[in-house]
Amino acid sequence: MASVVPKVPVRFDKVQKYFGAVKVLEEFDLDVAPGEFLVLLGASGSGKTTALRILSGLETATGGRVLIGDRDVTHILPKYRDISMVFQSYALYPHKTVAENIGFPLKVRKIPQAEAEVAVRDAAAQVQIEQLLDRYPRQLSGGQRQRVALARAMVRRPSVFLMDEPLSNLDAKLRGHMRAELKHMQATLGTTTIYVTHDQIEAMTLAHRVAILEKGVLQQLDTPAKIYNDPANLFVAQFIGSPPMNVVHGSLEGSDFKTGGSTVKVGVAGRVAKGILGVRPEDCSVVAPAKGHIKGTIYTTELIGDHTLVTVETERDKLTVKASKDFNGKQGDAIGVLMPKDHLFVFDAETGQRIR
Amino acid sequence: MTNTSFKFEKSNRSLFERLFEPPEVGRMSPAANVVAHILLVLWTIFVIFPIYWVVITSFKDAAAVNQGPFYVPFLDFQPNLDAWRAQFNSDANCDIPSILRQVGLLFYNAFVFVVSPVVTLQPMEPQICKIYLAFTNSIVVSFAATAICVAIGSMAAYALARVQYKPKFGNIMMFVLLTLLVILATSFAGIPWWLSSAVGLAMFFFLVRALGKHFKRTLGNGDILFWIISQRILPPIVVIIPIYIMFQAVGLLDTHLALILVYAVANLPIVVWLMHDFFVNLPIELEESAQLDGASRFAVFWDIVLPLTRPGLAATTLLTLILNWNEYLFAVFLATSKVQTMPIMVAAKNAGEKGVFWWEMCAIIVVMIIPVILMAILLQRFIAKGVLLGAVKG
Repeated sequence: MASVVPKVPVRFDKVQKYFGAVKVLEEFDLDVAPGEFLVLLGASGSGKTTALRILSGLETATGGRVLIGDRDVTHILPKYRDISMVFQSYALYPHKTVAENIGFPLKVRKIPQAEAEVAVRDAAAQVQIEQLLDRYPRQLSGGQRQRVALARAMVRRPSVFLMDEPLSNLDAKLRGHMRAELKHMQATLGTTTIYVTHDQIEAMTLAHRVAILEKGVLQQLDTPAKIYNDPANLFVAQFIGSPPMNVVHGSLEGSDFKTGGSTVKVGVAGRVAKGILGVRPEDCSVVAPAKGHIKGTIYTTELIGDHTLVTVETERDKLTVKASKDFNGKQGDAIGVLMPKDHLFVFDAETGQRIR
Repeated sequence: MTNTSFKFEKSNRSLFERLFEPPEVGRMSPAANVVAHILLVLWTIFVIFPIYWVVITSFKDAAAVNQGPFYVPFLDFQPNLDAWRAQFNSDANCDIPSILRQVGLLFYNAFVFVVSPVVTLQPMEPQICKIYLAFTNSIVVSFAATAICVAIGSMAAYALARVQYKPKFGNIMMFVLLTLLVILATSFAGIPWWLSSAVGLAMFFFLVRALGKHFKRTLGNGDILFWIISQRILPPIVVIIPIYIMFQAVGLLDTHLALILVYAVANLPIVVWLMHDFFVNLPIELEESAQLDGASRFAVFWDIVLPLTRPGLAATTLLTLILNWNEYLFAVFLATSKVQTMPIMVAAKNAGEKGVFWWEMCAIIVVMIIPVILMAILLQRFIAKGVLLGAVKG
């Protein structure tokens, strides 16, 4: 079935987008490899959806070029771009049956009826909705509608899939399930896919590579593991991870990070008056006050199940530390936080840049 | 310590509470129920009575009308068919063959109108009984005008809802100025109209290219929409004489085509205005999705947008049809004899030297309201809710 799948690269070349005087994308460069699953991750207003809409042709770039394969599509109508898109709201045609919905892209392309019917059946089978073909969208559950939208997107084998937060209207359990199916489907078809989300879990689990956007600027483009373990700047470090990375305000003097009355040894050297020390909750640990690099008191504890989250109030900051599930400190107890040198990141507080 | 403030048992409630409190959420109390039904009955009588009155009056004779009021047939007065006979039997030509010939002409005219609107339509036979003539005229004129009006109006409304237009104010002013110059040149300098128009048009394009980029102020879709609606603010009476002279000049007075064109144009603002609202409120993702799926703009309009606005389209069509069906002012000026419509016939019964023929007028009115009621029944199937259900919600 998935024999002749076109694998094409996608390229944003210095794409700019203004809405009036509002700058949404600034010199946006992105290379998507053929067959790659790339996730555009960012908060709302970061420009990720605009980037996707520029690629789809629903918006026109103010400047720069967009390439699909080796074709410059910057000023080409959406219908000539050979892409398909899954919308957050699914955008199913309510007056058409499921079969007509899935078959619509074939109908407007005047594909012969018999051929189209086979394609619709195959697409429906791929997302397991063959038994729903005669229903109308209003008779379907959210998850089923999602599957119809997916089937409609892949029925004509486009060269690029675009997905705009396709899972965010589903409940948590179904979302996890569909995530796995989506990943499996993309791997099977091998079609280049660009996926927009604000959900870091979706980004980490689905993507070959993640592109993090903030205020229209690409912050980091890398594999999920590299993004997590080697963030390029403070924004990326805090955006990824749950609970987010702890920040300790202080100053870097040589390889000593000084905060309040404490000094933490770090792996980098430099001199920054206003610095930020970052450490992930699972990389530090709570110890007796005398043994810790930083001293503080317990602000609160939360039992999650397999671990406890301990929030420690220090002189200047609040840190969240992952502790064992049988941790039994009380609110107000004095406590120390151990920060291993290998897992610390130092950032310039003013620019947010990582100091390496 | 008894819990008197909670009344779980029905027997604990006083008569007053049972009457004025609803038995459950989402229902009305018995007292409110009674009041509501009384008001509804009164209102129904108020609405139905005029229709009833028209129907029974059409079965009265002069005596029953003038000595009345009589309300109940057979008790108050003896109903008879005089008024109806006067409509159908007074004319010797009102027999089956001439009616069939008339129907044939009707179809011929409809066909000719579709094929080529400029071909002169065959006049209906004026000697045939007048009510039949007026009825067919009304049908041809109002249905054709409604079809044209809704077709053009909904496309215009869709364009205004989904395409951003930015006409430059300066360019529009320039066009107006050049149009004035063309008119002056034609009327006072004796230049042939085709020459002055061609020169004016050429100058317009030249000036737009030369000066257009210096104009900064632009108008938006809202301005265009308001301009279209503003055409309906003026009462039609102010334009009726220019329109009369225009149609006189092109020799279209007293033709179906004249009425059809005028009716279609007069109601275009209403259709644009109403349909614009329906189009703007459609979720745009559906259209974007269809575009990405490969549909052309017209395919999106035809296959996605129109079916989803069917309730609005049906309501707008019905409203336009009723406006066209009842139109009097344009008809009285433009349809002098052959293409007289039903409203003119009704009014004519008010203008005899023998006084008002109420009974005959009512017979004509009864004939006149039947098609509208039929159309309302036909179209109300489409004015159903919930068409968008399942479109964009999870």
